[in-house]
Amino acid sequence: MIPLLTNAGLAAAEQCINKSLQYDPATKNALSSCDGKILSLHIFSPEIKIAVLIQDQSIRLMSQWDGEVDTQLSGSLIALAQLTQTPVHNLKDSGVTAMGDLQFLAQLQKILQNLDIDWEEMLTQIFGDIIGHQMAQLLRSKMLWTKNRAQTAQRLVGEFVTEELQAIPSKIELEHFYRQVDELRLAVDRVAARFNNLTSS
Amino acid sequence: MKEQKTTHFGFQQVPVEEKAERVAEVFHSVAAKYDLMNDLMSAGIHRLWKRLTIEASAVRPGHKILDIAGGTGDLSYQFSKLVGTNGQVILADINASMLGVGRDRLIDRGVAGNLSYAQCDAQFLPFADNSFDCITIAFGLRNVTDKDMALRSMLRVLKPGGRLLVLEFSKPQNQLLSKAYDTYSFKILPFMGKLVTQDAESYRYLAESIRMHPDQETLKSMMANAGFVNSEFHNMTGGIVALHKGIKP
Repeated sequence: MIPLLTNAGLAAAEQCINKSLQYDPATKNALSSCDGKILSLHIFSPEIKIAVLIQDQSIRLMSQWDGEVDTQLSGSLIALAQLTQTPVHNLKDSGVTAMGDLQFLAQLQKILQNLDIDWEEMLTQIFGDIIGHQMAQLLRSKMLWTKNRAQTAQRLVGEFVTEELQAIPSKIELEHFYRQVDELRLAVDRVAARFNNLTSS
Repeated sequence: MKEQKTTHFGFQQVPVEEKAERVAEVFHSVAAKYDLMNDLMSAGIHRLWKRLTIEASAVRPGHKILDIAGGTGDLSYQFSKLVGTNGQVILADINASMLGVGRDRLIDRGVAGNLSYAQCDAQFLPFADNSFDCITIAFGLRNVTDKDMALRSMLRVLKPGGRLLVLEFSKPQNQLLSKAYDTYSFKILPFMGKLVTQDAESYRYLAESIRMHPDQETLKSMMANAGFVNSEFHNMTGGIVALHKGIKP
């Protein structure tokens, strides 16, 4: 029953993505360069395996794929999501393991970074010009507000933890500590050199 | 006096040579509303069963596919997109009405070029040896008169390394589900058939033919006996449907 439910979820997601892609013709066009390629995603916690097939300027999500794949990616959901912002040629410490055709991965990453879905067009087609436009404006202002709040919250939490709770050191304190460690290391090196010099002479 | 060989047609025993004709009558009767009835009977889940079959096929551009008992062309439509312009899909069905509905539907959806149609019997496939990369038969094997002969015929036309996928109703693995399924099949299904296609008998045959079809393990051993290797099955919806896979050595 579980594979069937996963498959139903993937079918719904696939339809949603392909429908959204209709409102971003540039991305649809760019997908042609990856036609016929298959990306396998192995997500840890929760354990999910998905194969993504790019075909006819659309994508197909599959819960199982017995055949060969072009590129295989594995990692946590967060690490894989962050990959859209990380250059493919530098996966060190990203928590993602990549195998196969990395050129295809780089192409895909570029396509995702340039994704620009015309939500307003989609909303106006469903609700008409006036309501659609107003909904799009409301959505844009709410998204901007959420983005600003998220940035402010991140800064405030950081300040609270370092300054008020003093649970972790601030950046300046850390840099001072590192500098002291460096100076101590150099002093120890100098003592060791002098000691060696005295014992050898 | 020579004894007449019989086979099952639902719960009835009929002469072997009559079965294909009687099955044909059933499908002539339901062809026009076959898709609608499939959606109603399975609450749309048949689309997910077929989707998993496509995934298990591992079909790639350039492959040659035979979709036996392809009916209204659900699998052929997907295969045609997967194999691309260099591949080929053959939608085969013994029943002219079903094939006609499938062909009209696929042409209306703009599928052409890499898709051909063939009216043929699964027991006597009119193709050269080692022709196909993948063969599928979805909800068709139980209607075939001699299933062993059909499996051998499929093995012959498959390329070495090619795979056969049999999607078919099977035996539910849970007692409670089995009881509920029996009630649904023998009470509700014929009633729905009567409402939609004015043909309760065809849907009674459908329920009976499912009960007469070999269960998961039996079909797996039939595939092994026909010559397939690495035969395995995957239950779906608690075993109501099973997908069997076998590879030609």
